[in-house]
Amino acid sequence: MLEVFGGHPYRAILVWTLMLLVVPFLPLDDYVLHILTLFLIFAVFATGWNLTLGILGLKTLGHHAFFAIGAYASALVSHYFGISPWITIWLGAIIAAIAGIVIGFPILRIRSMPHVAIVTLAFAEIVRLVLSNLKEITRGELGFWGIPPFDPISIGGTTIQFGLGNAFGSFAVAAVMFVGVHLLLLMLLKSRSGLTFLAIRDGEAAAESLGVKLAAWKLFAFGVSAAIVGLSGAVYAHYVLILTPSSVAGPDMLISLLAMIIVGGVGRFFGPIYGALLLTVSSELLRDFGDYRMLLYGALIVVFVFVAPTGIAGLKPASWRKPRESASQPAEAT
Amino acid sequence: MAADFLRVEQLTVAFGGIFALKDVSLSIDEGRTTAILGPNGAGKTTLFNAISGAVRPTAGKIRFLGEDVSTKSPSSRCHSGIARTFQITQPFGSLSVIENVMVALATKGASMAEARREAATYVEFVGLSAKAEDPARVLSTGQRKRLELARALATHPRLLLLDEVTGGVDRPSIPELLSLIRRLREERRITIVVVEHNMEVLLDLADDAVFLNRGEVVVTGGMQEVAGHEAVRSIYLGDIDAAA
Repeated sequence: MLEVFGGHPYRAILVWTLMLLVVPFLPLDDYVLHILTLFLIFAVFATGWNLTLGILGLKTLGHHAFFAIGAYASALVSHYFGISPWITIWLGAIIAAIAGIVIGFPILRIRSMPHVAIVTLAFAEIVRLVLSNLKEITRGELGFWGIPPFDPISIGGTTIQFGLGNAFGSFAVAAVMFVGVHLLLLMLLKSRSGLTFLAIRDGEAAAESLGVKLAAWKLFAFGVSAAIVGLSGAVYAHYVLILTPSSVAGPDMLISLLAMIIVGGVGRFFGPIYGALLLTVSSELLRDFGDYRMLLYGALIVVFVFVAPTGIAGLKPASWRKPRESASQPAEAT
Repeated sequence: MAADFLRVEQLTVAFGGIFALKDVSLSIDEGRTTAILGPNGAGKTTLFNAISGAVRPTAGKIRFLGEDVSTKSPSSRCHSGIARTFQITQPFGSLSVIENVMVALATKGASMAEARREAATYVEFVGLSAKAEDPARVLSTGQRKRLELARALATHPRLLLLDEVTGGVDRPSIPELLSLIRRLREERRITIVVVEHNMEVLLDLADDAVFLNRGEVVVTGGMQEVAGHEAVRSIYLGDIDAAA
């Protein structure tokens, strides 16, 4: 599991946490905080997707549907029923998880990866079309606005505000989600769940012959993965406060997220974080290029697949693998 | 009693219109080592796949310890005591050697620490302790075969199906591999069914033999007796010549 997690994964999460704790004390303007918040949300999204795509090894291409489901579920419920977003984001995650398990069932029967890709992609299109056509509820492509921001919370004497003009509050929510999700997922994957997922990825038939119940483990992975993605979608909804079906479940989202995962490192635990950081920041720098950014992302995916298929995360281990290998050589010589 | 260990009853496996196995019946006794012989395409691996659950029989039944397991999944057959290795080895490449073995233990509910402790004993048994922390993908073919053996043992099998254990293994390593297999039978009382092309290996290892040709059983009996059979000699002599 070393190549998936690197040498000290808990230490890496601690480093990320410390870096995020420092951010509020830096003299950053709201625009930078906004980009960092988007990065944190997309990093969680990409990490959730990477669970089925990279760690379980199923070529699922429709996770933007779970992002949309989580976003719309939380936004709609909080808007129409007046329930606090602090509660509805969990509802978004749960509904996304249920959707994930439901779409997991047909995928269990499909052995061919291109078919898995097509089925999941088609599922995402269905979700997008349903959201566009339920105009009475979602206002379709006109956009669903009036999503309530997170309710203010007071800690001690200070009150943290969220929503427009309160960049810090949203950053804090995204940061807590980022650290929490990565920490919990790491604990899950360092246990027998991770061992089993990787065994299924590397040799499904062999894993099954060793007693691994494929169907149960795959559905579990789908549920967890969709829940994480749904949670990131819900937090996104209460941050940007307006949703359109094509912005959350459209092809742009698909390509951006796949680019983050591939550039960062498919199947590497920390890969999607690097990818999300690089692409969120560069996407802001390239804002002037408009839709041509997608062309650039496409090119980036192609370049990485050919030149560095293990992504950014795969570049690093090469340097610390060398000392390890030379250390094991004397043992071999004896 | 002993005859009820593994019974294959009129097993037929067809892929489309092609019969890989046709009306195969055989029984394997507990504690013995049985060789499955036959030329390429005789249905040896298909028989393994049918017993381990990787392919569903078109007709017929497989009974293990008196229970009909014909429609059970490979994982539940593993839990009832059937383990196998693969002709083309399937290591979990991104996991280390010891983690490969831990998969079998963790799936039965062992904690990671327990699994690691027990896995170490199997890794040691097959002689891969020095490689325990290396990723499985860097192993040589012979080491991969031994890893498959360690993984299969970790499932605590009563019946072990070995598909081409010496295939692709360099000749000097073969005797060591065979002594491992003999120890399984002697120390752990594991019943072994082995598919193998190397006749010397089989004469050395197997008590009984089943000779398949074109998906049908031609001869069954003691290993020496089957090896001496006319049909076996005519097909297998070529192999012996090639090996020598």
